[in-house]
Amino acid sequence: MTRYIIKRIYQLIIVFFLFLVTSYVLFDAIPGDAFQSLLLNPNLPPEAYTRVEELFGLNQPLYKRVILYIQNFFKGDFGYSYTRYPKTPIELIAERLPRTLMLFAMVNVVSFYTGFLIGKILAWRRGSKSETWITVTSVFSYTVFYPWFALMMLWIFGYKLDWLPIGKFLYPETWYDSPYTSDEIFVSLIKYVALFSSVQILLFIFTRNIESISKRRNARLASFITLIVLSFVYWNSGDFVNQKIYAFNIAYHMILPVFTVTVVAFAGTALLTRTTMMEVMKDDFMLTARAKGISQKRIRDRHAARNALLPVVTSFIFTIVTIIDGSVLTETIFSWPGMGQLILDSVLQEDIPVAMASFSFIGIFALIAHFLADISYAYLDPRIRIQSQG
Amino acid sequence: MDKQKDIAKSIRRASIKKNWAMFKQSKLGMIGIYIVGFFLFLSLLQPFLFVTGIWNKGIYDPVVGYSEQFQDFLVVDCPKEYPTEKYKSRTDCPARNEINIRTLFYSDAQVGETIYQNLQPAPPSKKHILGTDPLGRDVFSQIMEGSQVAFILGLLSATLGVGISTLLGTIAAFYGGRVDAYLMRQSDLILMLPTLPLLFIISAFSELKVWHLAVVLGTIGGLGGSVITIKSQALQVKVKPFVDSARITGGSRMNILFSHVLPNVAPLALLFMVFSVTGAIASESVLSFLGLLNIDMSWGLMIYLAQVEGYIFSGMKFWWLILPAGLSVTFLAGGFYLVGRGLDEVFNPRLRKR
Amino acid sequence: MKNILEVKNLCMSYSTIEGEVEAVKDVSFSVKEGESFGIVGESGCGKTSVAMSLLQLQADNGKITNGQILFDGKNIVQLNESELRSIRWSGISMVFQGAMNSWNPVVKIGEQIREAIREHYPDKSKDENTNKILELFNIVGLDSSVIDRYPHELSGGMKQRAVIALALSCDPKLIIADEPTTALDVVIQDQILNEIRKVQEVLGLSLIYISHDIAVIAEMTDNMAVMYAGSIVERGPTKEIFSNPRHSYTKSLLESTPSIVGDKVKLKSLDGEPPSLINKEPGCSFAPRCPYKEESCNPLREMELIEINNEHYVDACNAGKL
Repeated sequence: MTRYIIKRIYQLIIVFFLFLVTSYVLFDAIPGDAFQSLLLNPNLPPEAYTRVEELFGLNQPLYKRVILYIQNFFKGDFGYSYTRYPKTPIELIAERLPRTLMLFAMVNVVSFYTGFLIGKILAWRRGSKSETWITVTSVFSYTVFYPWFALMMLWIFGYKLDWLPIGKFLYPETWYDSPYTSDEIFVSLIKYVALFSSVQILLFIFTRNIESISKRRNARLASFITLIVLSFVYWNSGDFVNQKIYAFNIAYHMILPVFTVTVVAFAGTALLTRTTMMEVMKDDFMLTARAKGISQKRIRDRHAARNALLPVVTSFIFTIVTIIDGSVLTETIFSWPGMGQLILDSVLQEDIPVAMASFSFIGIFALIAHFLADISYAYLDPRIRIQSQG
Repeated sequence: MDKQKDIAKSIRRASIKKNWAMFKQSKLGMIGIYIVGFFLFLSLLQPFLFVTGIWNKGIYDPVVGYSEQFQDFLVVDCPKEYPTEKYKSRTDCPARNEINIRTLFYSDAQVGETIYQNLQPAPPSKKHILGTDPLGRDVFSQIMEGSQVAFILGLLSATLGVGISTLLGTIAAFYGGRVDAYLMRQSDLILMLPTLPLLFIISAFSELKVWHLAVVLGTIGGLGGSVITIKSQALQVKVKPFVDSARITGGSRMNILFSHVLPNVAPLALLFMVFSVTGAIASESVLSFLGLLNIDMSWGLMIYLAQVEGYIFSGMKFWWLILPAGLSVTFLAGGFYLVGRGLDEVFNPRLRKR
Repeated sequence: MKNILEVKNLCMSYSTIEGEVEAVKDVSFSVKEGESFGIVGESGCGKTSVAMSLLQLQADNGKITNGQILFDGKNIVQLNESELRSIRWSGISMVFQGAMNSWNPVVKIGEQIREAIREHYPDKSKDENTNKILELFNIVGLDSSVIDRYPHELSGGMKQRAVIALALSCDPKLIIADEPTTALDVVIQDQILNEIRKVQEVLGLSLIYISHDIAVIAEMTDNMAVMYAGSIVERGPTKEIFSNPRHSYTKSLLESTPSIVGDKVKLKSLDGEPPSLINKEPGCSFAPRCPYKEESCNPLREMELIEINNEHYVDACNAGKL
């Protein structure tokens, strides 16, 4: 097992290396560079352009630049942003990342959960009229033309009905005198959500040992309600009282983008769950479960869905990888300044250090996610778990 | 020898009939086929109308056609504050038959007069079923043109992509070892690159017409994650006993690859192809919408134009500029997906109802 | 002794793309308390369909079109799903064909058995259930560590025993065993059969044993029925049928089984195949293959069971023959 991991990691490093080179060459292939605007500025002499080029080393041949970049990369030096000088790419990413993360973590969790639920129910109701039209509706919400749909949502809820804010993630007026920066609030929001979820998961695991089904359900419900109450206390104590207003502000702005993306994203999970469940339902153990006299609902949830979980979780992990890629469109339309916008801007403006740093970030993220997917696959399917240990 | 071929042919014909009967059983697949068929009809209708002269090319051409519709407009001066007694909100002024004096740059007309002006974009009428766009081009004709583009683009890139990934996947499964490791890492590499930014970059240094875009989408799709899936499918086939017996009876590796492994991987590949068409149509629309492509006319482009000219937020007033294109993308992509689901039921017996 | 199960004129058919398949036609039999009843026949004769319909577990396209199934005096054909659920497993339980696949691969064996117990005895504590399961394992000859194992960690024989333990878990009155040993080797088969017999004697259960292996039926059952093409052609006490087979099919079946004792005789086998059950033609379904055809045979006469001896029923056609 360890030999396999080492081999994989070794291959991973080579791939990452190639990835860096490929990205750099691609960026370089784009005609022009970040400093073209200097040429257009009438107040600057043309020597300014050549001087800046020299400073940033852009007049050197490609292969030299690539080698230099990679050397610096592994030293930890990512350079400075060309267009947002003197910020470093790390600063920019650190600033933008929590925002994207917050938004898309919520989206992924909600859409995964909803999708799994709906897919489960759809597969169970196979052949009924409602199954057909719900599935067709899901397909169309999956293939709907996203920019158009997002703009429509924005128009309906933000403009026509005026229920939700149109863009950005906060009201400048509210934040005018704020002692906090938006980053701090984002980070604390993320911490809170992480805390809440981990406690919930722990409770879930602890209550597994209760024998009676109805007692277990009651215990879980009670603990969930306790968590909600504790959340109130959490947000009203200490420093968080002050943060509350700003946190709500952000949350309020999150509603529309999360809702829009969820509508489009849940369908993918739903359809996958439905297909997998339909396959599982033909297995023999389903017959045994029915013969045992268990209720339909329990059979659906504990036997069929549990077996269908595997491919769905794997696809969920892969979806996480494409968070940033998928966020480009959403962030542009909803003016949510996050990683997606950062990548877009840096690519369009040829801000190579930032673009390279973002790409590298995505690349590492993707590699780790693949790795996690393999591990979780082994964990969820006991058959593979045993094999991989032996 | 010929008799064997005849028998083989008749078996194939019978199995195709049987598959079709099974496909018909799937409601989803049938809905999908109807939708795809409808759009196919649309894309074939346009050249037919032009060739037979029913439509005058000068007026109805989706790219360079021009249709004039003159009508009387009442000149008004839109107020600054809303709501007023005549208008409920900003989008209501100017109304259908009115024109805002601020948009008249080259006329001396005063408020309250009527002028005779070209109406663009024109709402649906008998002459133009879906109206005209801001440049006077017939929208219905544009939809049909877009349908052609969608089909060509979708099928081309899907075929290319699936061809590549099937080939690579089966090679990886069969030759194993270094070849396999290399191919897997390669598709890892492609997977690592974010798609949309990558397409941005490519559009920046090469002009993307329909063929180019098809090739690019096909290659990226083909070299990506689908290789892994097809490889695992081919692996499942590889361990089946009949492959071993084929090897024992002296079949070369290539022979086994083509006559045994490929036919078993083909259903999955077909499925992938249909789903890739969905993705291709969606990608093209998004890229057109962002103004990155150099295609003459497509659905995404229609919405792009509508947005650039500021008609998107006008609500229902200029619906024919936005809704037909948006719905067409949704439905055609969805139609292909449904066909894919239907095919899934044919190829995977576990998914059938009985 | 009372009848624990009475099946009267059961008819079941499946609707398929090619037509209606009449899998079970006019089947009647009864099982007393503590008795073991065998059903024997070729593949596709309808024995599994009969078993499935006893618990209303038939596939979605299968339907009971006629007849009554009286379990403990109550007709269970018309019951709705929730009433059926209370009978399933605690009244009648089943050991399926191919027990290997009866288990959910991602749940531990112990948990799967516990689930069944919890459904029918919701108020028992975890320890009580664990003890019960260990008891059951004891009866079938399984080690107590099996509780925490996953299905793929067990061998075929162990899985089969576990299935029997599962079937016993809710103290049913009747167990249906559908070819429980087909996939196992002869040694294990012998062990399992002994277990089943022991269990039956100890707990006083009724057993319906379905098989195509006539030797096993001879060993295990008190009464038996022979099925062909969806109908019972002969029914009665096992000993009686083996010593005095009357129906042509039964005779052919017995003649095709090799015997260790006596001279080496050439095995007789039947020509042809069972008839297609889709849109079946009326009349005797065995007529095309019957090796004992006579002039007086009327192939168009419907099958009908007539008693010729004490409890020994045979299709009317053969009733008159010797």
